[in-house]
Amino acid sequence: MRVGVLCSRVRVEEKLIFQALQDRGVDGERIDDDAVTLDLTGGLDGYDVLLIRCLSHSRALYASKLLGDNGLRTVNTYQVIATSGDKLLTSLALAKRGVPTPRTRVAFTPQAALEAIEEMGYPVVLKPLNGSWGRLLAKINDRDAAETILEHKHTLGGYQHSIFYIQEYIEKPGRDIRSFVVGGEVIAAIYRHAPHWITNTARGGEAMACPITPEIVWISRAAAETVGGGVVAIDILEAPDGRLLVSEVNHTPEFRNSIAPTGVDIAARIVDYVLEVATMEPGR
Amino acid sequence: MQERGVEYDRLDERDLALWLQANGLGKEYDLIWCRAISHSQAAYALSIFNGWGIRTVNSCQVVNVCGDKVLTSMALIQHNVPTPRTVVALSVEAALQVIQEMGYPVVLKPAVGSWGRLLSKVNDRETAEAVLNHKATLGGPAHNVFYIQEYVDKPSRDIRTLVVGEEVVYAMYRRSAHWITNTARGGEALPCPLSRKIRELSSAAAQAVGGGILAVDLMETADGRLLVNEVNHTPEFHGAATAVDVDIAGKMADYVLQQM
Repeated sequence: MRVGVLCSRVRVEEKLIFQALQDRGVDGERIDDDAVTLDLTGGLDGYDVLLIRCLSHSRALYASKLLGDNGLRTVNTYQVIATSGDKLLTSLALAKRGVPTPRTRVAFTPQAALEAIEEMGYPVVLKPLNGSWGRLLAKINDRDAAETILEHKHTLGGYQHSIFYIQEYIEKPGRDIRSFVVGGEVIAAIYRHAPHWITNTARGGEAMACPITPEIVWISRAAAETVGGGVVAIDILEAPDGRLLVSEVNHTPEFRNSIAPTGVDIAARIVDYVLEVATMEPGR
Repeated sequence: MQERGVEYDRLDERDLALWLQANGLGKEYDLIWCRAISHSQAAYALSIFNGWGIRTVNSCQVVNVCGDKVLTSMALIQHNVPTPRTVVALSVEAALQVIQEMGYPVVLKPAVGSWGRLLSKVNDRETAEAVLNHKATLGGPAHNVFYIQEYVDKPSRDIRTLVVGEEVVYAMYRRSAHWITNTARGGEALPCPLSRKIRELSSAAAQAVGGGILAVDLMETADGRLLVNEVNHTPEFHGAATAVDVDIAGKMADYVLQQM
């Protein structure tokens, strides 16, 4: 069995993954995405499966496409990475499948975005379509803020920052939920507590165990299935009226802070799934 | 210029390629009056012309000071010209902390920029975080110099004066429901009496940055003080034509000819 792990830096997560591979008698090969080159007809042949753990979304996106189209099995697949790496495509997929998600609008000019925001009412959240770790999320509380943030995105950002993704602000109870779905199974869930409305643990949100209720199982599996399965983390908001809403799906989740509170060996679960994929027919 | 019988050429900045070693234009021109729209193009062209020893209106030094709000504020403060309380911070964290200390609202401005572009009125911490992070992440190094100013609650207008050499030529109100009053952004030009106080402050502001042909933006505070907000080195004045009855271009031309 040949397992490749395409990654950037070897973070805690990747170390745990290599360890879990070793525990199962498999030598995981590290493939550095800084050094790798791929061509249109192959590259990285001979692997039974490739686990993609790139830091950069665009590297993961194109690597999975090139490898997948050349018959290699990747975790995640291009479809999962393409959909969940783009907040607009994720929202659209969720909405089409009836998975509850915050009300979202898209506008293509600052003027149209401002009008949409005024119609929706404050506060709203503006998010870049691509991006992780809560970067450039903006909570917009009034018109002064809307005007200047839209102008900054439009003037300073690249063209993709002029696709304005506008979402209703959900008043969270000082926490949100992140669940891990691996091969269709919800293996763990945490609360991320934070005094700040951005709850990412990378930004200081504190992880605590969250009981995996049937509602969480249902919405997490539905969200994962919507983007194409694989190994994903689902960000879930608890609305004041008790509804659960999916806000994002992450295709290369960090999980170091979720192991201790849940007691789940997340790396082992991921590796077991990856090894299972290795034995499947390509193009499953 | 024509009415004054002066020979002049229009130099389109898009046609210019200036050999730094050779004083090409100096042989032809006694003076260059710069009306380039782009601040950086104006600043570099003038630094070359002045370097060659050609007189310019305005001077390279004045354009550099006026084109940078940090340098303008420093010049005003050093010459005791009243201006809003201003802080410069060099990191997002330092900016956030000083904004918390100042209290909301505050105004964030790019150090270089005109027509009211990228001005931010920041009313709360969440906005401060979002604006600062957008500047830091999306903007170049210049946008990582955070220019933070107390917000002056204006009476839905500010005052713009034009200073030409020693003379304060006119004052006008720019009225706007929006806190950004630039006529380029829809502010309406209205006549404003040229009081002694406005005259003195405008002159002082113009001299503080080095003098020349300059537009001075003044704000009226709620307690009746006047503060100088900005000094502009290449004033547009088509917006003023409806509000003031002065031959603005003629005044400017006379000043330029005096400099030769």
